[in-house]
Amino acid sequence: MDCFAGIDVGSLSTEVVILDALNRTIGYSIVETGANSTDAAQAALNQALVTAGISSTHLGITVATGYGRGSVPWADRKVTEISCHALGASHHFPDIGTVIDIGGQDSKVIRVGKNGKVLDFAMNDKCAAGTGRFLEVMANKLRVPLDEMGDLSLTAETEASISSVCTVFAESEVVSLVAKNHPKAEILRGIHRAIVNRVWSMAQAIGVEGPVTMTGGVAKNRGIVALMGEKLERPIHIFKEPQIIGALGAALIAKKQGCRGTNA
Amino acid sequence: MTMSIFKSVCFNVMKDLGAPAMMGISDLGKKKRPAKPGQYYGPPLKSTHRLKEIVKRHYFLSRYASGAKPVAWVTSGAPVELLRAFDFYTIYPENHGALCGAQKLGSDLCAVAEEHGYHQDLCSYARIDLAHYFSGKTPVGKLPKPDLLFASNNICQTVVYWYKALAHYLKAPLILFDTPYNFKEIADYDLSYMVRQFEEMIPVLEAVSGRRFNYSKFKKFIRISKETSFTWGALLATMKTRPSPMTIFDAFAHMVPIVSLRGLPVALDYYRLLLRELNERVAQGVGALKNEKKRLMWDNIAIWFKMRDHATLFAEHGMNFVTATYTNAWAETTPHMDENRPFESLAKSYSLVILNNNLNSRLKLMERLIQDYRIDGLVIHSARSCKPYSVGQYDLKRLLMERFALPSVIIEADITDSRFYAEAQTRTRLEAFFEALEG
Amino acid sequence: MAKMFMTRKEYLTTQKKRGRHLFGVFPAQYPKEILWALNVLPVEIWDPPLEVTSADAHLQPYICSVVKLGLELILQGKCDALEGFLFPHTCDSIQNLASIVKDYLNLDTPCYFFYHPKAPDRASSREFYFEQLKNLVSRLQNQLGPLDLSELNRRVKQGRRLASILSDLYDLRANGSLAASNAQFYQVIRQGEFLHPDDFVPLIEGFLTASKGKAAGVPAVVLSGVLPNPPELLTLLDELGVRVADDDLLNCSRRLLIPCSDAQDPFEAMTENYFAMPPCTTKDSSFPKRWEYFKRKIDRTGAEGVIFCLVKFCEPELFDVPQMVEALKKTGIATLVIDSELNHGLSGQLKTRVEAFVEMLT
Repeated sequence: MDCFAGIDVGSLSTEVVILDALNRTIGYSIVETGANSTDAAQAALNQALVTAGISSTHLGITVATGYGRGSVPWADRKVTEISCHALGASHHFPDIGTVIDIGGQDSKVIRVGKNGKVLDFAMNDKCAAGTGRFLEVMANKLRVPLDEMGDLSLTAETEASISSVCTVFAESEVVSLVAKNHPKAEILRGIHRAIVNRVWSMAQAIGVEGPVTMTGGVAKNRGIVALMGEKLERPIHIFKEPQIIGALGAALIAKKQGCRGTNA
Repeated sequence: MTMSIFKSVCFNVMKDLGAPAMMGISDLGKKKRPAKPGQYYGPPLKSTHRLKEIVKRHYFLSRYASGAKPVAWVTSGAPVELLRAFDFYTIYPENHGALCGAQKLGSDLCAVAEEHGYHQDLCSYARIDLAHYFSGKTPVGKLPKPDLLFASNNICQTVVYWYKALAHYLKAPLILFDTPYNFKEIADYDLSYMVRQFEEMIPVLEAVSGRRFNYSKFKKFIRISKETSFTWGALLATMKTRPSPMTIFDAFAHMVPIVSLRGLPVALDYYRLLLRELNERVAQGVGALKNEKKRLMWDNIAIWFKMRDHATLFAEHGMNFVTATYTNAWAETTPHMDENRPFESLAKSYSLVILNNNLNSRLKLMERLIQDYRIDGLVIHSARSCKPYSVGQYDLKRLLMERFALPSVIIEADITDSRFYAEAQTRTRLEAFFEALEG
Repeated sequence: MAKMFMTRKEYLTTQKKRGRHLFGVFPAQYPKEILWALNVLPVEIWDPPLEVTSADAHLQPYICSVVKLGLELILQGKCDALEGFLFPHTCDSIQNLASIVKDYLNLDTPCYFFYHPKAPDRASSREFYFEQLKNLVSRLQNQLGPLDLSELNRRVKQGRRLASILSDLYDLRANGSLAASNAQFYQVIRQGEFLHPDDFVPLIEGFLTASKGKAAGVPAVVLSGVLPNPPELLTLLDELGVRVADDDLLNCSRRLLIPCSDAQDPFEAMTENYFAMPPCTTKDSSFPKRWEYFKRKIDRTGAEGVIFCLVKFCEPELFDVPQMVEALKKTGIATLVIDSELNHGLSGQLKTRVEAFVEMLT
């Protein structure tokens, strides 16, 4: 029986999801993209195949998405990550209304309709502020491991205000705060607040409706999720593996195409 | 618009009793604001107290204006004398924007406008104003809805786009006073165009205000306006003295009457008061700074959210801003005003303002100010929001440098959106400027 | 496919050899017929293919690339063969650019300025525009010699002819009866920026005849903004099988599709034509007028989406966008707003946005 693969080649990480004919996720992988997108896609696919316990001959259709989707020559089709995140998110939550994806290099807000259809979207793809890169830069500056930033930020009761629109200038602000011996947790909370505000501002352009979920690597940051929930005044639903939602959406598109093919 | 007798009565009661009472009460519980650090400054201006009263009263009364008087929202460069003749209560969104900026509310309000789709590259005065429309947020209590929008593009085309959006949202009639740009010289047909526009406006103003056009009232307001502008010019001229009795940072605050209350006796009376005080200081050799080591000129609108910090920084270095193209603008074209040729003279005086005038004129103007005020250095604010003021500054700096070998520095910032201000980077530039001046 | 048989540079050189006066004209609207009648070839400066190096010394980072590239062209000496510059008063940035060029650059090239009235519906505006036309003629005559009125009449008629063919072209495209790609269409239209009408009119006529046929591509979109930029956007839409069925572009329909006046006096005719032009943000056209014009385009083309392709920092366009987007959303039309610097191609991010937008439509 045919299986279907979705490959999401991002700027920092590449994910693959493999679905069987009954829409079950039978395998997935997350690898670092590194310098070569094609190699990363291949490596991620191989890993996913191993966890799925199948070989590539069992794959029917493959759909590629993400920033590096053009670097997957064997993909049968390329679809943007906007459509894939919408579809992937609604697969788990059929009622989902809004998807917020904060990735390494961009952030997006997607309004989702019935059956995972994209109703509208907004993207911040011009600068690092409001993206995972912002967190990375700051993690580096503050010498805090990236995966501890969120929890540490939640320990602060007040927060330092970071006002610059530009990541580089915001970095200068953080340096000044550190020099003034401002508590790290408060600076971190301020940094997380800045990201949430940026993304929230962008979300207003299309409106936030219905249940909200966050996808992408930054969704694993509990600080961001908490502050976003506070700002939106509603709970944020997070999947156990938010980073693979894009690849899942791509795999679902692959399956839809594959089934259409066989029915024809 | 329908005037309500009840509302008229309320307004007048507030004007004569409510406002003074409110100001008396608010003074009582008030924590006395610490006087400016005495270390570098001379004695603060006594007149400032009266200025604060005037501004407070204006915004207080604004809450009762709707329905009592016809209300107009006006651009800073518009020929307001015509509106005064119809007894319009005037609000200046630019002044409101500056106030929001000075109270450090600019960036939050701008963000609200951005959430409604207005790009962050647009003028921050406009974004603040639109944010006020969308959210109702304002630090002054309540702004009355306009019965009329009155704009002139002699300061920029942005107001045209901005007021057009306001007209759409507020469903208020909009009158534009279109001033052809003075590329080389204002021609006769430019003048006739402007005069003709005045004639076209009158029926609309009558319809909106419910009052008939009164020619002699109009002349009276031109007379008061002209006198006010002359007085403003005279008080600015006291700053030619060494040491200067006032700083430009003070002058930016004292601009409110000439911009927002021009034509009203209260503005004229205030400037006469201020002029008296400044003349006294000149006579006694009292300076705004204890030690005025260097005299500077400021170009462009103020960085409203940074005024206090900058005032302190420059004062610490003994540097006083004694002139600015921005404050000078309200005295520059007054000589053209003539109540006996009201329409034509208003057209001339409003179309020759600095921002409607070619860059050659601006260069000459700055050269004149540098010489008259004996300027040692120039600070140029490159304001992201204000293209007519900012485009050409890089060349101005270069040409003034060639002509006068004057140390100068450009600060890239904005009038009210503090997110476009890089603290550390600007500091560095200013420090290099200080070294050039002091070294 | 209608294509010039020589490069733009070669064409301008031959025109100059023929004794035509080459004038550099900045965006956007100006009385072309007057220039044609004085034997001037207007060479429009919108987005010269240059890298900005020198202009940054004169212009801040927050100034749009139309203005920056225009100044760069001058500073790189590529305008030295021009006999004059004409600056229409399109916006604040062009206004000050005009003054920088005239007052600060120490060039010998004569600079002309043309102010168009900002409140379009008043009698005073018409009178003023009429006077300005006459005044422009007298200023140009000082440099170029007397204007022959019969020549002006001829050129006004020619302008009418040109507008009429362009109108037909747009109608065909809106109906889906023009078999030309998006890229081809705009490549041809934009040659009007430097071709003399004696050459442009036959070119367009030829293109119209050659391209009649069934258009490929559903869905249809409408473009709005200043320029059809970046050109890579058009090629991408072609690749994705999307048809640009109409446009509301300052560089194209807003200044080309003029209903024809039949006034006898050429100055009256030009004045009437100007005020009958489609609504535009640079002329302070009211939002209801713009929306009415836009709605007609949506209705006649059956377009499902609108792409606002804006040049970064363009104030007149950006102030209207929120109202336009709101009105379009209410009618169920999908919208995409992209703003970019000119000559930077289509970044991966912008490409993704366009693709996602198209995925929404299909």
